Amino acid sequence: MQLITAFLGTLGFGILFNIRGKKLWLAALGGFLSWGFFLLLGLWIEGEPVRYFLCSVLVSVYAEILARVVKTPTTTFIIISLIPLVPGGSLYYTMASALEGNGQQFLDNGVHTLSLAIALSLGIILVTSFVRRLKILKK
Amino acid sequence: MTEELLNCIIVLGERMLVAGAEVHRVEECIRRLCCAYGAVRADVYTTTSNMIVTAETAEGHFLTQTRRMAGTGTDMAKVHALNDLARRALVERPEPGELLQQLEAASNTKVYPRWLKILSYAGVAGAFTLFFGASRWQEAVISFLIGGIVGVAAQLTERFAINKALERFICSFVACMLTFTALHLGLAEAADKIIIGNIMTLIPGTGLTNALRDLFTGDVITGILRSIEAVLLALAIAAGYVTAVFLLGGGF
Repeated sequence: MQLITAFLGTLGFGILFNIRGKKLWLAALGGFLSWGFFLLLGLWIEGEPVRYFLCSVLVSVYAEILARVVKTPTTTFIIISLIPLVPGGSLYYTMASALEGNGQQFLDNGVHTLSLAIALSLGIILVTSFVRRLKILKK
Repeated sequence: MTEELLNCIIVLGERMLVAGAEVHRVEECIRRLCCAYGAVRADVYTTTSNMIVTAETAEGHFLTQTRRMAGTGTDMAKVHALNDLARRALVERPEPGELLQQLEAASNTKVYPRWLKILSYAGVAGAFTLFFGASRWQEAVISFLIGGIVGVAAQLTERFAINKALERFICSFVACMLTFTALHLGLAEAADKIIIGNIMTLIPGTGLTNALRDLFTGDVITGILRSIEAVLLALAIAAGYVTAVFLLGGGF
């Protein structure tokens, strides 16, 4: 169920970001995969940030490969594919707890959101810098 | 390397950035184009709002141009087209006039029709309401409908181009008002799930992730700008939410 909705949600975002043609479907498939990886990793690993990090690495690899195949900037796929993982929900709860005046909960949620975002971006960077290094070596 | 040529190159970079390309890609692209056209050295500094390029020509002259960008959107088709153009220009090195023509052609990418965009807002809202754990279909349907209205609101506010924070405020306000109304009418129970689904299209989750990515890759100023933008937008969304709670009492 979550996998299907992840696919549909990502597809919608793809349209809003004006991704066209088969790239749109590939990007949406990325959204499906990223949540799939997340659920799969959940079988072995409990900590959410670690799972986010690993997912983001896997999805970035997927995006880098696709970008080479269809010859388009990698961002197209990375941003979109990671949408289901983007901590929108937890950002919302952070906000809501701040408004309720619940300081402790606000801090907990805030730290959680930030750690997820950091895990995601570290995953992306790890792969991009590695690919960039490879490219330089090839030259 | 001439003033005219540098102008073409910087316009290309500017459009790429405004269409949502990464700062790193744009800097690299401008630098390589300058060098391909015979500059001995090119220094490019770009943030999301400002761009400075200095190229040293083979004759030892220094050419400098700057640009101020008002705001960025996301149009991946355009980034793709411009990136392709840059790659071709690296090899073929067309004359400035021709390059400018190709540039205009590449900037003219197709966009999806308005109804499809509105449908996407609705679809994203409905899908993420279920995704974040709403247990009943009813919630998803309500969220889908509200999402459509938010989509219309987003398009209208964008057309008037007020500013991003105000846009988000209005959209979030509309979404929360409608959700609480549905709640009061007894049409839905899980207000938080519906709101999350709807603000997924508004909330700067991607912005936050991109901001951190820039910070870690060394584009510190851009990273800071993006982080602050993300926080401001989140605050605007929160303000819309609070206003709705204040007016309708909310469901909490």
